Amino acid sequence: MKTDAGNLKKGQFLSYNNEIWQVQKAEFYSPGKGSALMKTVLKNISSDKTLSYTFKSNESVETLDVDVIELQYLYKDNNFLYFMNERTYEQYQLNLSLVGNVSNYLREGDKVYVLMYENKPLSLRPPQSVRLKVIKAEEAVKGDTVSGAKKIVMVETGASVAAPLFIKVGDIIVINPETGEYVERVGKQY
Amino acid sequence: MKIQTNIQNLKNYKLYLKIEEATHQFFKKNQYLRLDLPVLSPALIPESYLEIFETRFNYLNNRSSLYLTPSPELFIKRLLVEKIGDCYYLGKAFRDGELFSPLHSPEFTILEFYKVGVDYNYLKKEIQKLLLFISQSVFKKTKITYGKLTIDLNKKWEEISVTEAFEKYAHIKPKELFNHNLFKKRAKNKGYQINNCSYSDLFSQIYVQEIEPNLGVNGVPTIIYDYPKELAALAKLNPDGLTAQRFEFYIAGVELGDGYTELTNWKEQKERFLKEEKERKKARKIDHKIDWGFIGYLKKGLSKCAGIAIGFDRLAMIFVGVLDIKKLKLINLVC
Repeated sequence: MKTDAGNLKKGQFLSYNNEIWQVQKAEFYSPGKGSALMKTVLKNISSDKTLSYTFKSNESVETLDVDVIELQYLYKDNNFLYFMNERTYEQYQLNLSLVGNVSNYLREGDKVYVLMYENKPLSLRPPQSVRLKVIKAEEAVKGDTVSGAKKIVMVETGASVAAPLFIKVGDIIVINPETGEYVERVGKQY
Repeated sequence: MKIQTNIQNLKNYKLYLKIEEATHQFFKKNQYLRLDLPVLSPALIPESYLEIFETRFNYLNNRSSLYLTPSPELFIKRLLVEKIGDCYYLGKAFRDGELFSPLHSPEFTILEFYKVGVDYNYLKKEIQKLLLFISQSVFKKTKITYGKLTIDLNKKWEEISVTEAFEKYAHIKPKELFNHNLFKKRAKNKGYQINNCSYSDLFSQIYVQEIEPNLGVNGVPTIIYDYPKELAALAKLNPDGLTAQRFEFYIAGVELGDGYTELTNWKEQKERFLKEEKERKKARKIDHKIDWGFIGYLKKGLSKCAGIAIGFDRLAMIFVGVLDIKKLKLINLVC
């Protein structure tokens, strides 16, 4: 689909120089001389290549219409995440570098939305929040009442999260998987 | 669009207020008159590369267009003709069609000041004095830390001409820079889309992509000066006939201000008005009333002077050490 570069948004995919790129950053910029611009950072979906490019905001770009399908997350290795379509049993792999930190907060078997283009996975649509069990946490030092103080805890996927001092092993906490930030405690498991 | 309350920015906002206070002190100390000016005007200076906000004044059956001013220049130059002398404005300005981004907001704070009897070289030094004054009086130091960079305001600032910068950073030779056809050809070879693009469009695109990231990143701010005349609608031409006396200054790749030796020749100004008006029509921008009264004032005789417009939110952002102008505000509009 053709659109003006000025409409580009983070997360979109576009075809540029015959390759597919994901928009990592799109920032309006008007230099006060010449036309307004869109400063972008693009990530190539088939390699680790990142490109900073400044489009004229009225320049025509080709964005890709992507499908969103629900897949089951299986596991990851050093380079890829693996998924399966539960209806067709078809398996897919997705370059880890395109997913970023979100993969640190996925449990094997979780259902996730994957963006597909011509039956090829392009990226994950990160859930707004994930609920994970704390498996490692140091006891808070008694008397440490500094408000806002944090400690590092480990959750069941193996990721480390900065959480408030009252968080204990067995607690279920909500995390924003895009930023890796602790949001709240939603329950305890004994 | 939504209204967002950002009370967590209170600490930054208080620093912003101190920077604002120091700015007023600097100009008071140096005997610039503070100007309080309207933000509504019935006519504007035609500028082809920005869009304006139009509103209406209604009284009974009388209706007329009013525009939010994209800069206070049309008012200040009238006062300069009236021999007001050195002066400044620190207040709101408005530019439509500018999406909210870390460095942009359609409503922003502009600092514009003028010094009589000097050219842009004087202003380059005055800017350094202003920034040093703010830094010393608010932060008690002469160095700014911004991201990973430390910028010393007290050392000699880097100066580079636009011609040198294009050669050094974009490998575009002077003869290519000033010849529109050669420039377009060079841009095409570099992979830029050149269809339906003016010289200014391509210049800006290459400038932002290849030049700007190198400015103000070597421990001191950078002043880049002498732009091709096509890029300086209100600046005096240099004797070379190719460039105009315009400069910008940068810290950490961020453009902070834009200064000129002001064009005082009313005939030349009128021609540029007509050209800009034509460009605006071509680009289907709002067909606003043109401030021909401005030309009338220039006819009376504007003395030699130099002026600069500074994005005050951006300047404060650099001093406070945040990467987004929204982090300075208690209330933000967000899309």
